Amino acid sequence: MKPREVFEDDNIYVLVEKIKNGDREAFSTITRLYQKKVFLLAFSFFRNREDAMDIVQETFLRFYEKVNMFRKGKNFQNWILQIAKNLCIDYYRKNCKKNNNYQRIKNFEEMSCPSYSQKDLNSSSDLKLIFYRCIDGLSEKQRMVFLMKHYNQLEYKEIAQILSIALGTAKSLHFKALQNLKVLMSPYMGRQT
Amino acid sequence: MKHCKETKELAAFLYGELKDDERKRLESHLEVCPQCRKEIEELRQIVNEADSLNSDIEEALTSVDWEMLPSKISENVFKKETPLSRGSQTGKFWGLLFQPRFRPVYTALLLGILLGSLATFVVFRNSGLKGTSEERFFVSGDFLERLELEMARRETLDYLEKSQYLLLDFVQSSPEKSAELWQSNFASTRARDLLVKKRYIDLQLDRFQMAKAKKICDQIELLFFELAQITKELPVEEVKKIQNLIEEKQILLKINLVKKELQESEV
Repeated sequence: MKPREVFEDDNIYVLVEKIKNGDREAFSTITRLYQKKVFLLAFSFFRNREDAMDIVQETFLRFYEKVNMFRKGKNFQNWILQIAKNLCIDYYRKNCKKNNNYQRIKNFEEMSCPSYSQKDLNSSSDLKLIFYRCIDGLSEKQRMVFLMKHYNQLEYKEIAQILSIALGTAKSLHFKALQNLKVLMSPYMGRQT
Repeated sequence: MKHCKETKELAAFLYGELKDDERKRLESHLEVCPQCRKEIEELRQIVNEADSLNSDIEEALTSVDWEMLPSKISENVFKKETPLSRGSQTGKFWGLLFQPRFRPVYTALLLGILLGSLATFVVFRNSGLKGTSEERFFVSGDFLERLELEMARRETLDYLEKSQYLLLDFVQSSPEKSAELWQSNFASTRARDLLVKKRYIDLQLDRFQMAKAKKICDQIELLFFELAQITKELPVEEVKKIQNLIEEKQILLKINLVKKELQESEV
């Protein structure tokens, strides 16, 4: 396992060096290797295909601009996901937060309203929608850790590196995210059963 | 509600992030702790719920043409190749310049510049103050006092001398000629000038306590006031009387004495 990882890392460094010299093919290869990982992170964050595609394009553009800052010894995947994560947060703060805040509160109120029929809540699409809203209800860091852990299936140490936090903090944020989701979901989970 | 310390490990357990020994320890704990069992069941439900979003993700993933996307992104990125390559060249330059291994060098340089500036500032500020203080306080108060005394002495001497000449002219002429002389513009202008000067030297004489000079100067002033009143109609006797008064009081002699005294006490 270990020698293979080293080999892969070495290949990445070679590709990065080529990109530094303006090699378009090397750039396409790197994009091909990491595009899905970036998309997964962005899609789980926005749950919107178009926004996720914008983030993918912007991430690789930003990567090309900053390629000279990448040094041997760094984990490339963590580095590119760090760029993607920063773009997601910036994009969310600029475009979504203000518009969604009111909407989110409104929707939560509507969802917990007793007039909502049992039948409606039992449908899987509504429960999915509620779960989306619950994820949005988490703090920015808890949400990011949860999404990275669950959908990107990253290890705690990778998450810690991407978010520039301690390993223990990543673990603790993940546990708190799950607990908070449990609390937020409890009324709906109870009705379902 | 009491929490076991193992509770915090439950998320890592669910996601398979515990080492073998940690996992076994937690499994043993779960067998004996109903509270943690309940907790892990609830968390597992959440994880299952999160999995329900996987279908959306799968759907989104299949909707993208992953084969074409890299070339599309490359096209966008390399479309701006010229500015980017220029930017990357600049970036390369700055990257080389600000390599982490040069940090101590830059820190030392910065520190040197700061210390140098500080030292220059301190040195120049001190020398600058010194220069101005020398210029500003070059003349001592004592010297100024002596200078003013000397000026007062000279002014008094000048006053006495001019008065002496005027009085000599007056005394040595016949009463008729004296009256005529005194009415001339020359004498009256001189007398007026001397009266003005007297006002100035009065202050100086008082200040430096030159009593003898003050006394004779006062007498001369009185005489000038008397003489200023001389008119053509003034009887010759009156003029004669003033001439006698000057001689009687030996004013000219006194002037000479005071002059001599003032000259001797030259600073």
